[in-house]
Amino acid sequence: MAGISTHVLNSGTGRPGAGMRIDFSVRDGDGWKLVKTLTTNADGRTDQPVLAPDAAKVGQYELLFHVGDFFRRQPGAGNDMPFLDTVPVRFAIFDTQQHYHVPMLCTPWSCSTYRGS
Amino acid sequence: MTSPALTRRAFLPAGLALGSLAAGGAVAQNAPTALATAPVSQVDLSPRLTMHAIDTHNGSPGAGMKVQLSRYDGDDLHLLRRFETNKGGRTDEPLLLDAAYQPGRYELLLQLEDYFAARGTPLPKPNFLSQVPVRFRITNPAERIHLAILFTPWGYSYYRGS
Repeated sequence: MAGISTHVLNSGTGRPGAGMRIDFSVRDGDGWKLVKTLTTNADGRTDQPVLAPDAAKVGQYELLFHVGDFFRRQPGAGNDMPFLDTVPVRFAIFDTQQHYHVPMLCTPWSCSTYRGS
Repeated sequence: MTSPALTRRAFLPAGLALGSLAAGGAVAQNAPTALATAPVSQVDLSPRLTMHAIDTHNGSPGAGMKVQLSRYDGDDLHLLRRFETNKGGRTDEPLLLDAAYQPGRYELLLQLEDYFAARGTPLPKPNFLSQVPVRFRITNPAERIHLAILFTPWGYSYYRGS
């Protein structure tokens, strides 16, 4: 299956990152055009694909993960997120026949992303 | 640094830094920087922003990476400086120091595609990652922040280091 998907994991607890807001945008000239805002489900994934296979086009895309807000809502967390707030991940679809799985592994102090499968 | 007359045996006492050269027999153009430096401890240093880029694809410092440092003013991103990482994947001077080390939202933009293209790494076009934003906050000007950035052509991670 082609298209784009994501998966948020809370590396501090070893649990899915449920309820994280993600803004999905596409490159439009010099800026970014918001396509949709998603919220991760209980498994840290999105109920709908980030980008469906038939909508995939070669180009630049951005997933903006609201990491700071996510950790502020965790039990026992302070209101202060001193290091990470929103984390943008920008990547290209270079072949529309391929699938792009772009996970976000995060703690309040670190994040990691990669082309997954 | 090396000459064709040197045999593999001659490299052996020289340690890890030269080992990669011996294995290949010659130094490839734009080869990743050999690991010739020990880790740097920054304990007890005054508040500052520093960074270290590590190329985990080649197992080397991320040397010669072109980077922009910008600061957010509301929703607007203002370029503070452009620089290139040194041979150790760091910068010769702190990115922000003393009065310049102010709370705020900052972003480093790494020219990752150019970095790997210059090393001859096979990449799709456009590459999966091209310009990588590393967004972070400075909230306490009394505490220094060291940004460690680990990257490959297909992924990266960054964290508050030490």
